[in-house]
Formats: sequence, C-alpha cells, structure tokens
Amino acid sequence: MDTKTKVKDVVVKLLKVKPDELKEGQNLETSLGVDSTEMVEICIALQKEFGVHLEEKEVTKYQTLDEIAGVIDKKKI
Amino acid sequence: MKKIAITGIGIVAPSGMDKKVFWANIKAGRSEIKVIDRYDTKLYPSHIGGQIHQLDAYSHISSRLLQKIDPFSHMALIASEMALKDAGIDLAAENLNNIGIFMGNALGGWLYGETELRDLYIEGREGVSPYMASAWFPAAPQGQVSIYYGIKGYSKTVVSDRASSLMAIGYGAKVLARGKVDFILAGGMEAPLSPYGLLCCNTNGDLSTDNDHPESAYKPFDKKRGGFVVGEGAGIMIFEPQERVGARGREPYGYVTGYGTTCDGTDRIKANPDGKELARAIRMALDDAGYKPQDIDYVSLDGAATMEGDVSEVAALKEVFGDRVRHIPVSAPKTMFGNLLGASGAVDMIITLLAMEHGLIPPTLNLKDVDPGCQGLDYVIDKARPADIRRALVISRGRAGINAVVALEKP
Repeated sequence: MDTKTKVKDVVVKLLKVKPDELKEGQNLETSLGVDSTEMVEICIALQKEFGVHLEEKEVTKYQTLDEIAGVIDKKKI
Repeated sequence: MKKIAITGIGIVAPSGMDKKVFWANIKAGRSEIKVIDRYDTKLYPSHIGGQIHQLDAYSHISSRLLQKIDPFSHMALIASEMALKDAGIDLAAENLNNIGIFMGNALGGWLYGETELRDLYIEGREGVSPYMASAWFPAAPQGQVSIYYGIKGYSKTVVSDRASSLMAIGYGAKVLARGKVDFILAGGMEAPLSPYGLLCCNTNGDLSTDNDHPESAYKPFDKKRGGFVVGEGAGIMIFEPQERVGARGREPYGYVTGYGTTCDGTDRIKANPDGKELARAIRMALDDAGYKPQDIDYVSLDGAATMEGDVSEVAALKEVFGDRVRHIPVSAPKTMFGNLLGASGAVDMIITLLAMEHGLIPPTLNLKDVDPGCQGLDYVIDKARPADIRRALVISRGRAGINAVVALEKP
C-alpha cells in the first residue's frame, strides 16, 4: 500500500467518514471540513501509523492527501 | 413575570424517548428502574437505576461527531431536535443571533472524562483525545447544541446539583421575559450511570441500596424510605413569548408564570428540616406569578426520599398552603424512572405540562406507609388521578437545600 492510500485510510477510519467523501485533489478542510482539533488527532494517528515524528505545522488541514503523503515520505528517507 | 409559553417538548428518558411513549408509561405508573447492566455494578452499594437503551435508534448525529461528545451531549442534541420539531420551528427562517440556550446538569460528561483519564495514566499524554477538554465539562451540551444549529444568542449553563435544569429554565424564562432573545431552548441533561459517575453518586450517601427490589426501591415520604435512585436522560423545551406564539398560530402546552429560588445555607449535604427556605422559594414563585396559594391545583414534588429532604419539603408546603394543603394533589412521578439529577426539574416540568394537557395526575410509586413527619398531604399514589389542573408548581431541589420552584399555567 502506498503512503497516500495509507494516509487516506487513517483519516477515514479516524473521522468515521466514507472514503468517497475525501475528494481527490482537495485539502482536508475543503473536502471534509476538518477542524484544528481533528487535525491534532490525525497528526498523532499518522505518527503512530508511519513511525515518524510530525510537527503540527508540517501536516495541516490545508493540505491534500498527496501533500501530506509527500511530507511523510521525506521523513521516512 | 410576563407569561412565557412552552411550545415544544423533547424528552429522552428511561420511560420513553418520545412524548407519546413517555406519557403512556408515566400515566400507567410503570416502573423502569432496573439493575444497571451496562457493566458489572454488583460491588456498588446502590446499583439500580433508570437506563436508556435505545439512544442510537433516535439519533440523527453522525458517528464522526459522536466520538467527540459525551452521552449527556448526545441526549441533549436528540432532545433539542425533538423539541424544535414539536414546536414546528424552522430555524432557516429565524434570526440565529436572537435564539438562546439555557441548560442545566450537575455532573458533566463523566463517561468521556473517565475514559480519557484512564488512557492518560495507561498510554500517557498522547493517549488522551484532544476532544477531552470540550467533551466532559458541564457547558458542553449547550455548546454542542449551539454549534449543531448555528445558534448564537445569549445562552448559559447552570450547574446547581439536582436543581440545575429548573434553575436554567427559570433563568432563561426571565431573560426571555426581558426581551433579550426571540425564543429559547431550555432544560437539562444528565448521564450519571458511567462507572465513575455512579461511584460519585454512591459516595453522596443519598441513594437507595434496596438492590433486590429495584422497582420499589425509590419511596419518598414513606416510613421505609432509603434514598433516591439515579437515572439518565434529558428534557428540553422551547419557550417563546406569548405574542410570538400567537403570530405563529401555535397552541402552547402551557405557560411559565413565576419562578423562585433560595438556598438553605445550613449544611454541606442535608436540607434544613424546617423547610423555611423552600417555603420562601414557593412564595417567591407564587408572587412572581401573581397567584394566591389557593390558586394551585397540583404540586410536582422533588421527593428526595431522604429524611431531611422529605420532611422539609412537606413542612414548606404546610407553611405556604396551611390547612388547604390537604386538598392539593401532589406527586413525585420520578419514582418510576429515577432521579435524573440535574435534568430532573426539566423532566418534572414536562410531566406537569402533559398532566395539564391530559387532565391526569401521574402517581408516586411505592408510597405505602406515609412517614409521620410527612403526613397531611394529598399524595396521588400508584394510579393516575383525573384532575383539571389550571395552575401548578414544580419543585426541584439540590443537595444541602438549593431550592427552585416554577409556577405553570394551562392555556
């Protein structure tokens, strides 16, 4: 499973939304109305999933799945 | 005070999650008090109560939101939706800046709180949900209802032990009477049956431990009383100025016409047995409504089922109503589903409004042998009694004698 698919999986499971609610190419706020507190949860869940340290400034609700996956992939190298 | 109409009822209670089902159970005198079976409660001194089992079946709330809120907010959201629908209010046509929310509860959201505290000690800081802070605290239901509907007017949460919701209603009605908002949602909610919440209720020492006889354990004013039984639920109503109701062409359930509140100020836990401060609160509500004692046709009792609670309540009624007290029907219908603590006053008020509508006084259960200190009242026992209730009082009291009284009138 690639990083983007895994990130999507984490977000969908955490927020209890349907996968198709997360629109391709849109950021998390635009597609799901993610708020700042949900973003804290997402950040913690992604750290657990990928075993990397993420600052809250690095992954934000204004990013798309591709962008978040990009941040994580860079950390993994 | 200026008359305030009640036009919508939302009820989430062990006796029913719908006004019709709830009233059918209440008028039949059916007990819903059972052993609490949600988790192993056997070691709790009191492990009986009024539980709600079908919350999800009535819920319009998404799973996404549910994981961020405590059940007490969930119940408030369901009851608010029911009340708005019942009142026929379309929020799209209202000015959301001029709607208020006045809610009361005693404990806050303990299930959420205790679960996250467990995670804090087991998993550490990062194990705690970031929603903890906004889920457990007593004003959470008011906030969630406000966010859900985008309501932005003058609002407040009252925390005043078991008197919380009746005080929220009294306070909200006064705000409405002064014309600060167009209409309000007001009432209360309580979810005390979580493992830690129930433990706190037990340490209070006011709960019945007659666990082998759940249905008959709650017996206020009886010689064999042993404390009250807890329950969970919410009661929320829509309150509007009379002229607005007329313009909308709605028929209200009734009117709030007066409110009084006092504190005993004598002990940390017990009410003052002399009942003088409760009597003063009753007089305040009567004066506020412009009523004489002889105008009252029914009194909904607090019925704490503790010695000081019962004796002081009866003493207060005797002081205010004199000899006429023998001819005023009184009852404590909460003996059927438990004392919903901070939500109890709102639910008692809903019952009183339904009693006015149906011309039927719901009974007190389990009152077999009236305590010598509580004699002289016209208790409606076991079976509902037909009666035309024009004007009524609802009494709600918290620990140590926080007294709240609301006067109601039939349309």
